[in-house]
Parts: sequence; structure tokens; C-alpha cells
Amino acid sequence: MATPLPLNCWRQKCLSRPFPSTRLFSTTSTKLALPVATKKSGATVKGQKKSARIKSKAPPKSTAKPPMPGERKAMRKRIVLSNTNALEVDGLVDLSREMTGSLQNHAGKVVGLEGATVDGLRAVEAFKTTQGWGLFRRPAVLIREESVQLGRRLVGVEQGKETLRVVVDGAKGTGKSMLLLQAMATAFVRGWIVLNVPEAQEVVNAVNDYAAIPGTTPTLWSQPAYTANWLAQIAKANGPILNTLKVSQKHNLPITVPSDTTLTRLCELGARDSDAAWPVFQALWSEITAPGRPPILMAVDSLSYIMDLSQYRDPDFNLIHSHDLVLVKHLTDYLSGTRTLPNGGAILAATSRSHAPVSLSMNLAITQQVERQKGEEITERDPYERKYDQRAESSLKGVEVLMLKGLSKVEARGLMEYWAASGVLRQRVDERTVAEKWALAGNGVVGEIQRGALRMRI
Amino acid sequence: MPPRLNFHGASRSLAIRSRPSIALRQPGIAQVIARRGYAEKEEQQPTGPNQGGGIGHVSEEAADIDRVTGKTPPDIGQGTPVQEILKRDQEGKDKAPEVIKEDIGGAKASAETMTFENLLAMGQMQNVANGGLASDPVATIGHKYGLPELPLPPTSNLHYRYDPVITQVTNLLMKHGKLSAAQRNMAFILNHLRTAPPPTPSPAHPLLPGSPHPSHLPLNPIGYLTLAIDSIAPLIRIRSQKGAAGGGAALQIPVPLGLRQRRRQAVEWILNSANKKNSRGSGKSQFAQRFAEEIIGVIEGRSSVWERRNLIHKSGMSARANLLIMQRRRK
Repeated sequence: MATPLPLNCWRQKCLSRPFPSTRLFSTTSTKLALPVATKKSGATVKGQKKSARIKSKAPPKSTAKPPMPGERKAMRKRIVLSNTNALEVDGLVDLSREMTGSLQNHAGKVVGLEGATVDGLRAVEAFKTTQGWGLFRRPAVLIREESVQLGRRLVGVEQGKETLRVVVDGAKGTGKSMLLLQAMATAFVRGWIVLNVPEAQEVVNAVNDYAAIPGTTPTLWSQPAYTANWLAQIAKANGPILNTLKVSQKHNLPITVPSDTTLTRLCELGARDSDAAWPVFQALWSEITAPGRPPILMAVDSLSYIMDLSQYRDPDFNLIHSHDLVLVKHLTDYLSGTRTLPNGGAILAATSRSHAPVSLSMNLAITQQVERQKGEEITERDPYERKYDQRAESSLKGVEVLMLKGLSKVEARGLMEYWAASGVLRQRVDERTVAEKWALAGNGVVGEIQRGALRMRI
Repeated sequence: MPPRLNFHGASRSLAIRSRPSIALRQPGIAQVIARRGYAEKEEQQPTGPNQGGGIGHVSEEAADIDRVTGKTPPDIGQGTPVQEILKRDQEGKDKAPEVIKEDIGGAKASAETMTFENLLAMGQMQNVANGGLASDPVATIGHKYGLPELPLPPTSNLHYRYDPVITQVTNLLMKHGKLSAAQRNMAFILNHLRTAPPPTPSPAHPLLPGSPHPSHLPLNPIGYLTLAIDSIAPLIRIRSQKGAAGGGAALQIPVPLGLRQRRRQAVEWILNSANKKNSRGSGKSQFAQRFAEEIIGVIEGRSSVWERRNLIHKSGMSARANLLIMQRRRK
């Protein structure tokens, strides 16, 4: 470090040889001083760590190309609907319009889904990753007793132009989501318009943007991004029908829509601009409920999520009730019977019994309705319980409940024979094996039969 | 549990058969009494109409006649209800006991006649009717689920229900004693093998002789896995015996391995190699996916495990000479 030279230096030489900034106290030459003792490697100094220092090796850097953003999630959520190794099943008939009227002829058998239906179902995200579609040659579903029942009702409301309101309930793995899928497949082959909320959780768990709709009391909230996405889904799934329908009414929309636009195009315009999504959905709804339009099927999975407070907050930081979200309100209005579908149709909701919040009101409503259907004494509300939700309760008043149990042995046999014919189940399917699997699966809980036959028992 | 008393139904399914109606309480004593000295003269057992080689009891007789005449014989495995016999035998019907007559006629036995002794006897009759001894109640006739077919399959035991390879590999996949997680991984591996395109084996690394055509493998995932493991399983391991070479130097000695040992080594290699791979996706099935891909790699000859196996075999060949030294040493 250079030090400033003293000005009154008496030696000329010091100009070239600067003074040290500090002077040693001793006048003895520094050269005579003892050399500084070097520390021994084992010796410890106060304040230093005594423990042995182990050199940690940096983990080896992989030279492989890291996955692109979103690629890993896409892989996890991927729906595979075909296994080219599986055998083609002989005599597998496809679900058709004629068949849906008389499903009882196919009870206990597996029927295939044709390409167009599969496209529609895929677009509305009716297939789930846990359902094991990837093991078989092509998608096929088992027609069980409840499918026949529901199919008959769907055909009935189409002819009578009524609104069917059903909640599908049952233990975990009894095929609730699968029954919704079957109903949607029926709707597709019968030329209905299908709207599906594949997972109600996504509507209420505050991962999407939301905005108050001006001029509503109490305030309603729209979810622009979700609605836009939903419109795109509706357009894709119902393309063949919506392409033939044109805008027939005057709508006050924030975007300009030419006069004879198809409804598919209308949906796409709404999907493109998320701010206009909700008004466009309203316009679409008034178009498809106009006289002479096809029936509509609305389906919701994991009902209990929308039977409680949502995760969204209002400006006062209070949680918004799910039914104040306008998209949910749209569904619950039809579920409660406040609004009806003029061209006929159905709203189906399935509960989730594996990983969903407990909604006491929903459970009570289901219990009461089941008792009402059986003509038993009706369970009263627990007077000491505070967690009931009045709005949820009123929205489920008078809803029909379809309670799913395990399969019958005949149905289980039909299913297992299909598995064996596909080459996936390598076992003789006789009365004994069917009875064994059926009993081990809690009297025919279909998810458990599948687990025991195709996943665990190997 | 006391026998269920149903005096109306007691005679309903009464079988006629030559069995003692009361079980001998102390069969041991009976045997002692029946013992006969060798010097004694053989006594002739008194033979009745239903004993020895004569005609069987009513049902057996009917079965014999039907067999000769070509009709369907009655099932002797189950007792023939008395009513059925009496239906075709008018004389028997007339001479039948009062209880049975009442039952046939539909008349009800009055409660006064039902003394305790009567009820006890009826209960014993019920037991006999159910195919057991009078003193021990039998719940139902025959077997509810049928008799098992013999010989029992090897997988019928609870602890050996899965294929041996599957059990072994599952246990090797297991970490921290979590068997269920290992089984889930195993199921994923097998389903991955089922759905992956059929492998194309490389001629450089031939699989076991007699292996099925590769297109047949995906639908037999257990066979697929077994083939992969058995194809790379080493035949030997190298044991280095310290000081055997003289002067403290170790001697390499090849040691043959058993079937399970060979498979274990193969799975360990595959596991090592799968653990070093990078996952491409996310979620809890990633390890299983890497393992399954390694199995496919083995069949297709891409896996580095083949090199390890060849190395072991090569060094085993060169260490073969050491076996002779050891043998001489032992002598």
C-alpha cells in the first residue's frame, strides 16, 4: 500500500523510498526475529472447527439434456388409450345410438367405444390416468346394472325434454367416474352437447385468475382463464354438432361476432380472449338452450369441492363461497333444479371418496336422499354440528342419488373375460377365480378387482 | 355350541346309513377290549344284512340298481332324505315311525310330547342327518366351497403365491422394509413391459437358448423379466482367497453360484445401472420406469450389465487354473 509522503522529510532519499506507515517499536532488525511458527496440521486453534473436515464431492453433473419445461408434468398426466401389444377382442361391439336405448341386452358385457366418441371423451378430459386404459387395445367399458339404469333415464329425458339431476356416489373404486364417462359416451353417440368439469378442485382452489362481475349483488366472480379454456374444450369436444349450429340471436358481446357464425367459431373466439370468455359462454348457453337445439349433458367430478368455501378471497380477505363463483353457480343452479334445460338433458355429479374434502352437508343430503328413495326414516341434521353449509344443502335438495356398490359376479366375470381375451389377465376365468377375486375385492368393488387381477396379483 | 334344535326339520333329511348314531366316548378303551391274542381262535364277527360284502344300505342299493339299469344314480355323497325313499315305497310309508308319518301328513307335533329327552334325540338325529356323528353337530351338509383339487398348485401357499422370480426381485427392490411400495413398483414394471413395444434382441448378446420369440414377450411380462434376468445372470463369482498364492498374495478362485444367487447378482447389477440413470418424468413411479427400461435394455443388448457379466466370466476362465492349485493344497 502506498502511503502519502511526509512533506518535511529531511532526507532526500525518502522520496524514492517511502516511509512505512507504522514504525516497529523494536529497533532490532526484523531479520533477526524468529520465524513465525507454522501451525502443525493436527493442532487446533481456538475458534476453529475441531471436527474432521470431509471434502464433499460435488454431485456429478449429468451430460444428458434436461427435460423441457412442462415436459415432466405432461408425462405424468399423459393419457394412453391403446396398447398395441394387447390382443384385439373378437366380437367386441361398439356403443352406438341404437344400443343406448336397450343397454340391458348388453348388461354384464364389455362394449367398445368408437373413434369419434373417444375423441370427444378425450377432449372433455373424461379419461383419467388411474383408470388403466393403457393396458388394452382400445377403450372399452363394462355395462353394469347402473349403466343400464342411467342409460334408460338419459334416453327418457331426451324424449320427455326433462332435466335429469343425479349425484353418483359410492365407495372408493366403485366406478363413479367411470359411470360419468359412460354417460358422456352415451351423450356423444346420441348427439348431445357435453360440458364436463373433469375435476371440481381446479375450479375452486385459487390457481386461476378471477374477477368480480360488475353490477351483481351479492358479488359474483368469474374466472376468465378457466372459462376460456373450458370454451376451447367445449368447442373441440362438440365440434361435429356445434359446427352445424349457427348464431341465431343478438348478443351484447365485448368482441365482434359476425352474424352467421357457427357456435364452434363462437367458442373459439371466446377462448382466444379470456376477458370475453364469460360473456361468450353466456351467449353460447343462450344459443344452445334455444328451442330446437340438442339436449345438454353437464358432468362434474369430485362434487364435494364445490359444496364448500372456495380458496378464493374477496377484497375483505374473506373466503368466497364456491357458489359465488359464477361458473360453479351455473352448475349448481341446474343441480338444484332452480333452472331447467328446455331441450332436455342432464346434470350428473360424482363424488370423490379418496382425496376430497369432507362436505358434511353433501354427505347428509346424500344420506337423506338414499333414505327417501328407500322409504326409510330420514336422518336428521346433527344439532351440535356447526360445519353444515346451508347453500350446499339447498343446492342438493331433491337430487336423485345413484349409489354404486360392487359389481355382481356376472358383471365381474364379463369384465375378467374381457381382460383375459385381451391377453392381459393370464389366468383361467372360471367360477372359482371370479368368486375369489370378487370376494377379495370387498364384494366386487371394481377398482379393487382390477387392482387384484391386473396390478397386484402378478 | 349347542345343536340347533328344529324338531320339524329333524326327520326331513334323515339319511339311512350304517353308522353308529352315538360316537364312542373313549375309543382307546374300545380298542383294548377288541384286542385278541394270537393264540386264540379267530372269532367270526356276526354279520348283519348291511355288513360285510352284502347289499349296501338303501341309497347304495338304489345307486347300484340305477347303475345297472343305466339311470342316473342318486348322489351317495349326500344322504337321501327319508321322504324321497318313502315316496317310492308305500309299504315303508305305512310302517314308518310316528314322527315321520306326522311330518309327511303335515300334522304338527304338540309341544307336550316334546320332552327334553325327545329334543336331545331329535338334535342327535339332526346331526346324523347332516352327515356327522350324533354327538358332534355339523353345520352344513358337504363342503361349501368344494374340495381342493390335488395336487395343490405350488402357489397355493400364502407365502409362495407369486412367481419365485417376482418374489425375489420385489424383495430386492424393497427399501427400508417397505414391501408394499416395492410391490407397487413391481406392478408398474410388469405393466410397463406389457405396454412397451416388443424388443429387438441383438445378435451380439444372445439370450438364453430356447427363449420365446420377442413378439411374444410383452404379453408374458413375468417371462420377459425372467428371461432378462436369467440371460445376464453370471454362472460364477470370483472369490479371492488371501494368502493362497503364497507370500500373502490373494488367489482368485471361481466359485459356482446357485440359481437364486445368480439371479440376485443379475438384479443387483440391473439395480445399479437403473439407479445411475436420470428420470425423464416426475412422480413416484420414476424408479420403476428406469428399472423397466433397463430390463428392455438388457434384452436388446444395450445394457452395460452384459459387460460386467462377460468380465466375470472371462476372469473366471483365467482363474480356472487356480482351482487345481487349491485341490493340490488340500491333499
